[in-house]
Amino acid sequence: MIRVEHLHKRFGEVTAVDDVSFVAPDGAVTGLLGHNGAGKTTTLRMLYGLMRPDAGRILVDDVDAVAAPQDAQARLGVLPDVSGLYPRLTPREHIHYYGELQGLSRARILARADEQVHILDMTAIADRRTAGFSHGERTKVAIARALVHDPRNVLLDEPTNGLDVMSTRAVRDIIRRLRADGRTVVFSSHVMQEVSALCDAIVIMAHGRIVAAGSPDALRRQTGHESLEDAFVALTGLHAGEGA
Amino acid sequence: MKRSIAQALVVVRKELKDAFRDRRAIYSVLFGALFGPIMVGFMISAVADRERELDDVTIPVVGREFAPALMEWLGQQAGVTVVSGPGDPEEAVRTQAEAVVVVVPEEYAERFRASRPVEIRIVSDGSRRQSRSKVERVRALLQRYGSEVAAMRLIGRGVSPSVVRPLDLEDVEVSSAQQRAAAVLNFIPMFMVLAAFTGGMQIATDSTAGERERGSLEPLLVNPAPRAVIAGGKWLAASCSSMLSMCLTTALCLAVMRAIPLQDLGIRFRMGPEQVVGLVAGGLPLCLLATALQAYLATFARSFKEAQSYMGFLIMVPMLPGLVSTVYPIASQPWMYPMPLLGQHVLLADVLGGKTPGPLVFVVAALTTLAAALVLVRLLTGLLGRERIVFGR
Repeated sequence: MIRVEHLHKRFGEVTAVDDVSFVAPDGAVTGLLGHNGAGKTTTLRMLYGLMRPDAGRILVDDVDAVAAPQDAQARLGVLPDVSGLYPRLTPREHIHYYGELQGLSRARILARADEQVHILDMTAIADRRTAGFSHGERTKVAIARALVHDPRNVLLDEPTNGLDVMSTRAVRDIIRRLRADGRTVVFSSHVMQEVSALCDAIVIMAHGRIVAAGSPDALRRQTGHESLEDAFVALTGLHAGEGA
Repeated sequence: MKRSIAQALVVVRKELKDAFRDRRAIYSVLFGALFGPIMVGFMISAVADRERELDDVTIPVVGREFAPALMEWLGQQAGVTVVSGPGDPEEAVRTQAEAVVVVVPEEYAERFRASRPVEIRIVSDGSRRQSRSKVERVRALLQRYGSEVAAMRLIGRGVSPSVVRPLDLEDVEVSSAQQRAAAVLNFIPMFMVLAAFTGGMQIATDSTAGERERGSLEPLLVNPAPRAVIAGGKWLAASCSSMLSMCLTTALCLAVMRAIPLQDLGIRFRMGPEQVVGLVAGGLPLCLLATALQAYLATFARSFKEAQSYMGFLIMVPMLPGLVSTVYPIASQPWMYPMPLLGQHVLLADVLGGKTPGPLVFVVAALTTLAAALVLVRLLTGLLGRERIVFGR
């Protein structure tokens, strides 16, 4: 479970995240929805401990992520906005490296690597160097290494951005599987369909603030719009045609 | 603590594995390691050839037949061969067919008998530096013959030759043969330092600037490992490669020195286990500093290429003491040893000069260098915590 309370972050004169609070429960997918620059990535970066909030509290399974970022990181699986690979290492070696950094035993790493290669359907590429991999293959490797320690909480920053149809489906399958396993999943997107297809709860952000939050149905009721997309446009204050 | 060390070793292993799959990395280690020994080989054989040329001197003489006694005396001197000179001595020297030609006049015997000075011409080109030592040798030989004849004439007239020799000049060489060798070998420390910098460069830049460029730094730092551990692991991996390069250079330089018969040059170059250990113990701590400096600077670069341009400038720094000392040999002074870079330079020069200092000096030099390296690794750790570095691409 992830609990965020009154998070603030400024970059000079710009307020990137302004009083953001939400709770992402276990066994549910929480979507952070907003246009580019709405503060989604900054919020996630504070959650996974690479950015320090100016104010506010973050709890990951009752661990204070601001005070003890490494304890929180051990409970998190993260696919950051930019997830570069090492072109001279194979997917399996990527998984090993992160497993070792997480402090897993060798036997456990081997078992998890096999598991991830199977689940993500990477058998054909698992022992090839990643140089020249397609965007979808690279995303799979990045997800596999991020989940090597079987974390209770998973943060995905725009996981399907730029993926083709098949890879998008694969990522959605992973997210559903994580939910079925009782994990906490938070993912960000600027694509309405993505969020409505997967999320139990949606947090809509604009200009660093949360403008609405709730289940898809609740959001439709709240705005009086039948389509979630119309609701999104109405809430983020943009006119139709300019939207995502 | 135990977990941190284990994690640092994980980073070291990964970076080394990654680097050894990279051709550029292997070439840079090899190039850095081979450059020195090859240069040492060339330079020393050039010096050796010149020294040998000096020992064995062939003197072309025009008019040999006019001074048979002088020719016989010259021929008896060690390494001297007298041959007939060219028809036009000045032209031969001008066209560089000969470095020097001696011209004996026709009236030699006549004037010699009358005890009147004979004009003997030494034809040479003063603008040619290479021939200068040979010319000096020829002049010295002729002067020595002159003084021997003068002494005989004085004795013949009942005068002691010492009357006309108020001063007796004697050259006293204070440097040991080993030290003179070190002057010739002064560039070995320079090449060892160069190898330290080139050997670690690839990992130091690829694991910092390269990691930023690929966008793999952010996911790496999400792992629950302290940044100091990540920074330390990258530094140690680069240091391993740097040390390997330096050891290779040292071993090959020594092999080259063994292969060239330095005794012929009057250089007694002893390379026992003590010197080998001294060179390695004196030089290796520098690898730790070199790679720390490289990794720290490279982290500011957004791309591998940008980092490499910084490394190009950086490589000038270690060359400085080496370059300066080939022109102005640096006399080692106590304050120099604890200075990183300079300390290694004087230490290595001392070892090669056969004046290996005590172990305490090595320990002090190593510790100050290590301390400087740790400061840089600490700064690198700070950089990895900066949002502008982690997210700025």
